[in-house]
Amino acid sequence: MPIIDIKNLPELFQKIIKRNLSSDAWDWLQKKSDLIKTEERSMQLNLSFSMLPRQTGRDIIELTNDETAEFNLSGMELNDWTIDKLCRVWLLMQIPEGDKENYLRKINGLFATAEMNEQVALYAALPFYCYPEEWIARCEEGIRSNIGTVLEAIMYHNPYPAKFLSTPSWNQLVLKAFFTDKDVSKIYRLYERANPALSETLLDYVQERLAAHRTVAPEIYQLTQQMNPQI
Amino acid sequence: MCCNENFEERNKGEKIQTTLDLNDISGMKFFDPHVHMTSRTTDDYQAMADAGIVALIEPAFWLGQPRTGVDSFTDYYSSLIGWERFRSSQFGIKHYCTIGLNSREANNEKLAEQVMEILPQFIFKDGVVGIGEIGFDDQTPAEEKYYRLQLDLALEAGLPVQIHTPHRDKKKGTQRSMDIAIEQGLSPHMVIVDHNNEETVKEVLDRGFWAAFTIYPFTKMGNERMVEVVKQYGSERIMINSAADWGISDPLAIPKTAALMKRSGISLADIELVTYRNAITAFAQSGQINEDDFTTVKNIDQSQKFASNSILRGGQQPRIDKNSIIIS
Repeated sequence: MPIIDIKNLPELFQKIIKRNLSSDAWDWLQKKSDLIKTEERSMQLNLSFSMLPRQTGRDIIELTNDETAEFNLSGMELNDWTIDKLCRVWLLMQIPEGDKENYLRKINGLFATAEMNEQVALYAALPFYCYPEEWIARCEEGIRSNIGTVLEAIMYHNPYPAKFLSTPSWNQLVLKAFFTDKDVSKIYRLYERANPALSETLLDYVQERLAAHRTVAPEIYQLTQQMNPQI
Repeated sequence: MCCNENFEERNKGEKIQTTLDLNDISGMKFFDPHVHMTSRTTDDYQAMADAGIVALIEPAFWLGQPRTGVDSFTDYYSSLIGWERFRSSQFGIKHYCTIGLNSREANNEKLAEQVMEILPQFIFKDGVVGIGEIGFDDQTPAEEKYYRLQLDLALEAGLPVQIHTPHRDKKKGTQRSMDIAIEQGLSPHMVIVDHNNEETVKEVLDRGFWAAFTIYPFTKMGNERMVEVVKQYGSERIMINSAADWGISDPLAIPKTAALMKRSGISLADIELVTYRNAITAFAQSGQINEDDFTTVKNIDQSQKFASNSILRGGQQPRIDKNSIIIS
């Protein structure tokens, strides 16, 4: 089961998709989803995952206030999602989960050849995958990316890293966010997961920035003070 | 592709420090339909953006030495739709690519078989505007085999084809490339025949194909010759590119040639066709080019729209003052 505690999650997605999509595109998506549910191999999955934006377009989705609130409760924020991203994540939810090995193989196969926007959808979907503990290494790998939008898909309003990453990996995520000038206020549970090791590294980082006459993000001080009130 | 000039000869003599003057063409937009950005620096990206290049196509090709396994191809194709696309977007240049097995490496048949298997995983990706660059190098049977197989793939996928014509035995190689494309059922309007010269252009145009010219120092076309070609053949179905790569080549070949054309009295309408519009018309047959993306691309792949979000995303490259000795 995925980690998100929203009842009838696929149905909620479906409702939003139907409202934001033409009926032709919805028909196409449904047909593909039926095929994905039954195929043993990944032929239909690979094909429809790639071709999806040609059917759905890329407009920003519209959410009702209730929907926004429901996602916010789980630490998510879908308001700036595009329709192709939403549909791709929904399509990933259709992959049969019964055969664990096959389930993992299918999704890892998508990761292996993903283009930029596909990577964004695949990483944004981390909280929605089954066997959540199996995606830790993948998440860590994503944090090593230098593609800004990919990093944001992992860092911003994504509840997966805070729940599953080890302390060293979590610290890597936070450091990388500061290094790449990300808006760290969008990191889910940033302050809850503060820890002494992170604080120490961040203090070194502050020294380095100051020595180089560079600016320091104010959140760094909040994070380090939380751990070291005497500073 | 280059280049075995004598570097001692090249490096001797007075080093001239001048600045390039592209004022003649300021405000014009350019599209480079063939440039291997993987081999270029960020300075090149910045210079291209400054000179008016708004979008480009990076054809898959060989890397200067043969790859030894299929995974190298997977990673290379992935980089064309991933990291390189992102790098380009940081300079506001929309990056497209064509995907294919190049002619040289088609000669490693064992590997070529494996590459053919992974191609379908890439050709339907966003921003893949064709199969390319494919065709002949030595004109061997293996090259012909994989050329034909990839033409079949293009036909099935409804994608344009970007054909690399050989350096050696060029005229015959070009004719043969077109013959085979027709034999495999492709329409000439779906085929861009690249690296033309004065000897090949007439037949390419007469048969209804697109004729691309590579402005590349020493080994391919010079741009003074290009001006003459346009004067003689006009601008219909003709496009120019830089094919800049890891050899001595020029990523500003298109803006420079546009400037030269303007000085030589070629009309602005014709210049626009050969340096921008024709390439878009040809490759937009893939359904993957949206001109609006050229103007909205900021620092990410803005085929996604972030209408509601004005924050710079993905870390836009700060601009460097190249003329300052201070590096901060």
